[in-house]
Order: sequence, then structure tokens, then C-alpha cells
Amino acid sequence: MRRGSILQLVGLGILFGGAATLVAVLIPWLPPVASKQRDRIDFVFWFTTGIAIAVFALVAAVIAYSLMKFRVRPDDDSDGPPIHGHTGVEIVWTAVPAVLVAAISIVSSVVLVQNDDAGKNHMNVNVTARQFAWTFSYPGQGDLTSAQLRLPLGRTVKLHFRALDVIHSFWVPEFGQKQDAVPGQDTSLVITPTKEGTYPVICTELCGLGHALMRTSAIVMKPAAFRAWVHEQQNAAKAPPGQAGQAVFASNGCASCHTLKAANATGTAGPDLDKLPAYAKQAGQPLEDFVRESIADPNAYVQPGFPKNLMPSFSTLPKPQLESLVQYLIASGKGSK
Amino acid sequence: MSTSTIEPQKQLALSPKAKGPFLRAGWLRAAWMMCLFWWIGCGIVLIFRAWAGWDPLWDWSVITVVATLTAAPIGFLAGIGAFDYWVRYASGAPTVPEDHSTHGGKTWKDYFRPNTDHKVIGVQYLVTTIFFFVAAGLLAMLFRAELARPGMQFVDNQTFNGLVSVHAALMIFLFVIPAFAGLGNYVIPLMIGAPDMAFPRLNALSYWLLPIAGTMMLLSFLVPGGAFATGWTSYAPLATDQPLGQVFFNMGVQWAGASSIMTALNFLVTIITMRAPGMTFWRMPLLVWANFTTSLLVVIATPFIAGSQFFVMFDRIMHTNFFDAAEGGYVLGYQHIFWFYSHPAVYIMMLPGFGIASEVISTMARKPIFGYRLMALSLMAILVLGFSVWAHHMFVAGVAPWLRIPMMVTSMIIAVPTGIKVFSWLATIWEGRIHFNTPMLFALGFVSMFVIGGLSGIYLAAVPIDIHVSDTYFVVAHIHYVLFGGSLFTIFAGIYYWFPKMTGRMFDERLGKLHFWMTFVGFNVTFFPMHWLGTQGMPRRVSDYAPRFGDWNMVISIASFFLGASIVVFLYNMIVSWARGPKAGPNPWRSRTLEWQVSSPPPYFNFDELPQVVGNPYEYGVPDARHAVFNGDRTVELEEVNT
Repeated sequence: MRRGSILQLVGLGILFGGAATLVAVLIPWLPPVASKQRDRIDFVFWFTTGIAIAVFALVAAVIAYSLMKFRVRPDDDSDGPPIHGHTGVEIVWTAVPAVLVAAISIVSSVVLVQNDDAGKNHMNVNVTARQFAWTFSYPGQGDLTSAQLRLPLGRTVKLHFRALDVIHSFWVPEFGQKQDAVPGQDTSLVITPTKEGTYPVICTELCGLGHALMRTSAIVMKPAAFRAWVHEQQNAAKAPPGQAGQAVFASNGCASCHTLKAANATGTAGPDLDKLPAYAKQAGQPLEDFVRESIADPNAYVQPGFPKNLMPSFSTLPKPQLESLVQYLIASGKGSK
Repeated sequence: MSTSTIEPQKQLALSPKAKGPFLRAGWLRAAWMMCLFWWIGCGIVLIFRAWAGWDPLWDWSVITVVATLTAAPIGFLAGIGAFDYWVRYASGAPTVPEDHSTHGGKTWKDYFRPNTDHKVIGVQYLVTTIFFFVAAGLLAMLFRAELARPGMQFVDNQTFNGLVSVHAALMIFLFVIPAFAGLGNYVIPLMIGAPDMAFPRLNALSYWLLPIAGTMMLLSFLVPGGAFATGWTSYAPLATDQPLGQVFFNMGVQWAGASSIMTALNFLVTIITMRAPGMTFWRMPLLVWANFTTSLLVVIATPFIAGSQFFVMFDRIMHTNFFDAAEGGYVLGYQHIFWFYSHPAVYIMMLPGFGIASEVISTMARKPIFGYRLMALSLMAILVLGFSVWAHHMFVAGVAPWLRIPMMVTSMIIAVPTGIKVFSWLATIWEGRIHFNTPMLFALGFVSMFVIGGLSGIYLAAVPIDIHVSDTYFVVAHIHYVLFGGSLFTIFAGIYYWFPKMTGRMFDERLGKLHFWMTFVGFNVTFFPMHWLGTQGMPRRVSDYAPRFGDWNMVISIASFFLGASIVVFLYNMIVSWARGPKAGPNPWRSRTLEWQVSSPPPYFNFDELPQVVGNPYEYGVPDARHAVFNGDRTVELEEVNT
């Protein structure tokens, strides 16, 4: 090869590499970082990106150079030089990629081990996934439950997953961590929040009709604010039935699908709960029985215009909670008239 | 459609005696036998349900599986005549000595009945798979319309999930896998100097299973509850309690899988036993190597997906508990079995493409393949490694934590043989005499797009990154760069490359180039932004998404319609050129491999004279080198070789 052609090839490589680098740097590829684990994941991401840009630039430069220099007219009948191979070159392009992927593997392994380590002083949160809602409960805080994941800033938390029906998957892009919740199996995930804010919790495993709706939020709060919230929730649980019902309504994710003015809920996937008396009349049942049955066995009567099989059964709710929820819904419906 | 001199035979049916229209093998018999077998299936179900005391007696979920999706298709196959010879042979009825009356495409009607000519079967395969490709592409455009804006516009959730699932299932099981089988079917026997495949009747049968599988998947839209809606991965336990459409996937996969296995067995036996004299393994074209390794993958892996789908169906209709955790089932077991097939399936969908790229690149660059033996060995390396990486689809699924790092390492190592292939193609075009025509455009388009798909694969193999982007649009982007930029580009390269051989006519080069550039631009605008959607937080398989992703989804949807339009150019070019294109001659690309040394289209039995292989297939630029000689000039050439 002449020196001129080597220079041209290198020039093309720099051109493609530079273009790819601009694409990598100028476009905000990753969402804001809100956990220690995401920080480490991002390091692997950029480490891999560096290698990927180099490989891409090489391949693109060789193709572009070949098309510029070695194209012939359609009526050209000549053949190229009969080069069958070159052992040295073949060894190089076997060994170099092997070294590169080994480097990525090592970096990934180190990060994986670090990201799986919850340390000694972590907080536990139990996560229950069902079609199509998340429930978070805090065994260290008197088992209080919440439909949003609230976490104190800077405290490592270990999430323990349980799925009641099918497979779901928990993902918060800003945390970078993801884990499936699998029926009959315990899985867990470690997160150390590093930034206050409200982030989306997304189900990423197709779980049926309402999969796209299976969303809630993760709220990272200052430790003091978190403690205050815990107190408030614990007091609410001891409150009179109306408020207890409201807590059950909030902690089981009802608001993600239903509208209920009393709870500031605005979901539209399921029937409007402010119209419960009218629905009960259509179903031809007494209001209280109708509400109780609709919670425990939602498919017994489905309001026309809404899909069957979308709402999961909540028959597993403890009896007092179920009753307080029923009373709360009846009372709220009357209040809104 | 053919230029052979053999006189058309009077009798074309598989059965020896001409019978009345109702008894002669054909579409009429297929129609009534399908009905008959459906009722036989119902009868079996009713007898057993009555005997076992099940209530109700008539249960559509069982009837559908046994009568509609199993018995009726068998009736169809029997009626169309796919079993006639075997039934006569097995029952001791007189069989006529093979008169090859079912061999060869003499009229267009021969393409609509079981035919034992691998060239007819190859064309049947390709036309059928392109039909399902267009159908699956239209489904994709429907759900892209829904996804153009956030919120729900055109379809409900169940329909959306159905569209996504049927799109993927058709593309994978009815397009990419069988399209490669179709190209291989046409080309492999020619390339190795064989008169046909080893088992021509099995070959005919393997084709006829395909329309059954595809029709099944499309018809699932018509059953109550809609099409199967659990993605092409169809994870249990979701799949066990879905509406009835789900079993159309479970059974469709069985029919397509059986077809795949039959063809793979046929390829293996053909390649091992029917090579022309002198065609050693190290003289085989790389497409033959690729189909050999692919067939090994198919034969070993496909029974696993068959098993996984049967288990899901048993859970539904036989009350087994393979995947019911409450009854002691093992939910994750489904994914292990499924991916033990479906990861090798990725290579089933890619290795033949590697082979096609090697043929096209070497011929169009007028140079020998750089590092031929290492190219063949890297195929074998991918075959072996392909079975050791399946859990990389399950890094967030709850697999045993210790399994993740070993499976990451093996997944990473696959990049090495794949890299060898890419670098060898680059070295092959280096200093070549590159003819930048349509097949070559698609082959080089494949190399560049597949490199992007391979690099995003490295991200997904790295466990920490995978944990972040698993089940997001990043994965959607990756699989489309691999399966569209990879497999589909090579399928197009192969179709354009062998179109003159199959039809005897040349396609329109300008339309071919237009098709390529529309595809290339449309493809990249459609799929590249999906990487960003995924890393930023958009999960896959959702009908609705965060409003901030709206603009890019609109861009993607518009690009996908543009991509759809590019197919119109392709179809127009193929149909018009097939009917009216200029005559191509036997070897328009001046290729060295055997299929180009016979007329276009080839004679009924491929070679009027037996080829004697005397050298390697890619000896471009080597003075006086020959790949093969034919009987006529054999003595002279053999002398030359010996000196």
C-alpha cells in the first residue's frame, strides 16, 4: 500500500469516528442519573461506546475507501488480485476483538458485583406486582404499604419482588436497575438513590391487556421527609374506617385505572367509581354487594364499554381492609352526588 | 417458465391412476378431506370427553387444538397429495416406479401442487414467504400508526398486543427462516452438483406445512378474544390464561418448526451424501457451509421450542402445571427451554445470510474469499457457541445469579468469529474490482448495518447495560438491525443475485438500486432512533407511552411507511421482470460456482452432464483456475489438473 492511500484511509476513519463521537456526545442518550448503580452502569456504557466507535469507524472507513477506489464500470471484465488470505492478519483480527470483549466482560463483571451488593445497613422493601399495579410495603416501618415507591435519599434499599399472577418487570430508568417479578420465585434488586425527585416506575415485561398502564412513580425524598411520611402513613392506618379505606385505595394502585373525586384519582382505563350507584343499578344488585363483588371478582359483572379480564381480583385483601375499602367507596360515591 | 427439452408428461398427479376429480390429489380433494378430518378430530375429542365425563362435552379450546389446528391440516396435506406415495407404499398398494411426473415446473399450475423438484419448491418457498413478509409488514404499519402519537387512537390494547405478536411471529417463522430455506432449496443442490435434494417428497411436504402455519397465525385475528397477544416469545404463565388465539401461535409454531426440521434434515443428507465428484468439504461454496451449520442448529434446537409450546398448551387444555407456580410449576423453566431454541434461532436466521453475503461479495468484487477456511470454521464456532449463550436473554428474568457472568462471557466471545467474518468480507473487497450493482449494494448494506447490530449486541451482552436496556426499545432496535439490516438485506441480496438463475430473466437494475436506497434510508430512520427511545426509558410492547417520546415516534412511524413503500418497488420489479425482463443468459455475474455453469433456469435435473469439481469455488484472478469441469471437456481438463 502506498503512503497516500494509508493517509486517505486514516482520514476516512477519523471522519467516521468523529461523526460517531458527535452522535454519541451531542445526543443525550441516557436519562438523568439518580442512583449509584446507574453511575456504574453509565461507566460500562461509555467504555463500550468508545470501543464500538473505533470498530464502527474502521469498518465504515474500509467500505467507503473500497467503494471510492476499487469500483469498476459494469463492462470491466478484469478480476482482482488472487489474494487467498494472510495468516498474520487473520490472527490479529481474531486476537484484538477477543481482547476488547474480554475488557468489556471484566469491567461488566466488576460493576455487576458492586451493583448487586446491598451492604449491611440496607433498608428492605417488599414489592408486589399484579395485573396491573404495584404495591410497595415496608417491613422495617410497620409493614405500611404504598402504591408509590418512596425512598430516602442516600440509603441503600433492597427490593424483594413477588408476582401474584404473571411475570412483571420493575424498571426505573433513572436508577438504571431492572428486575422481573416471577410467580413462585423470590427476586431482588439493589438501589441507592442519589438524587431527590419523582421518577417513573415502568413494567417492562408484557403482562397482558393493561401492560402499558402498569406505571407508578418512585419518589426519592430527604431522609427527614421520608420519616415524616412514614409517621403520617402509620397514623392514617389507625384512623377511622373512612380514612383507612382511603389508604387501602391509595396503596393498591386503584387510582392508576379509576377515577374517584374523593381521592383525586383520575384514571380512565377502568369505570368511573363516582358512578358506582348507577352501575349497581345496571347490574341489578344492591350497592354494597355490587361493590364488594366487583373488587373480589371483577369479571362477574363488567360495565359495558370496558374490557373484560383487565382488572385483577383483589380477593386476597385482608377482610378488614376490604370492608373499609367498600365503605369508603360507597361513602365517596354518595358525597360526590 | 422453463427451457428444458423434456416433453411435458401427461400425468402430473402423485397417484398412479387418474381418478375422478374428487379422488385425484388436488385442491378439491384437499377441501373435502380437510372437512372430513376436522369432523374426525371432533369425534375423537367428543368420544374421550364423554368417556372421561367432562362437562361440557363440546369445549372450543380443545376442539380448536385437536380438530382445527391438528386434524384439519393433516386432512389438507393428505388431500393435496403430500402423502400419496407413502400411503401406497406403506399399505402395500401398487406404486408406480418413480416416473418423475411430479418433477419440474412445466406450467404455472405446477407451483400450486406438491412438486418434488427442488427448484419449484424453492420458488414456492420464496413466493409464499414474501407473501407473509408483506402481510407482517402491513401489521407493523398498523401498530406504527397507533404508536405515532402517545395515547390511544386506532386500536385497543388487546389488538395492539396481537398486532405486535403476529408481526414478529410471521416475520420470524414464516419469513426469515423459511426464506433462507427457500433460497437454499433452490441453490444448494445446484451448488454441490446434485440433481435434486436427497428426499424430494419430504422436501415437497416441508413446503406445504408453511402455508398452514402462516394461515393459522393470520386467522388467529378472527377468533373470539383476538389474535395471540403475548409477543412472539409467548412467556408463560401469561400465555396459559390468554384468550383462544394463543393456541394458534402454539400450534402454528409446531407446523413451521416441523417444516424447518424436515428441510434441515434434507439439507444435511444432501450436503453430506450428494456432492459431485471432487466436491470436498473444503471446496464447498460458503453458502453450502452456512446451510450445513444452520441445518445442524435447526435439527438440534427446534425440538426445544416445540416442547415449550406444547407445555404451554398442555397447561391450558390438559390441566398440567408446567408453569403454574401455585401448583409447583417452574415459571422460569419456560424461558430456559424457549431461549435454548430461540437464541440458536438467531443464528438460524443469520448464518445463511453470511453465506449469501460471501457468494455475492466474492463474485462482485472479483476476488477469492479472504481466509476461506477461517470463514468456514467461524461458522462452526458460532454453531457451538450459539448453544451456550441463551441465558443472556434472561439477565433480568431472575436466573441464578452465578449464571450471568459465564453467559455474558460466551456471548461476548461470539463477537470474535462474527468479527472474523466481517473483517474477511472487508479484506475480500479490498483491491477488488467492485461491481456496485443491486446484489452487491444489499450485501455491503448488510455488512455495514450488521456491524451496528453486532455492536449494539455487545451492549446487550454486558450484564449491567443489559439490566438497564432489557425489554426496551433498545432491544427492538438491536433485533431489527440484526434481522432487518442483517437477515433481510441478505435475503434481498440473494433474491436479486439468483433472480436471473431462477427466472432466466434480468431484473431492472435502476429499480433495484432505487429499492436499495429507499430501504437503506427508511430502515435507518425507522430503527436508529429506537436506540435512544430505549436508553431513555421507553419499554417495548406498549400501546401508549410517555408524551416526551411523541416526536420521535412520529418520525419513526412516517419512516416505517416509507419503508413499506419501498417494498412496492421491489414487488413491481420482480413481477414485471419475471414476465418481461431481458434474457439473462446462464451466467450474468460471471460467477465460478456450479449453479451458474448451467442454463437459466437450469434443466429439470440440473446437470445434463455430471460436473467434476477440480478446484475451489472462488478462484477469481487465478490464471486458468477452474472450479469444475463437465464430462464433455473432462479428459482435457483432468490432464491439465494433473500436470
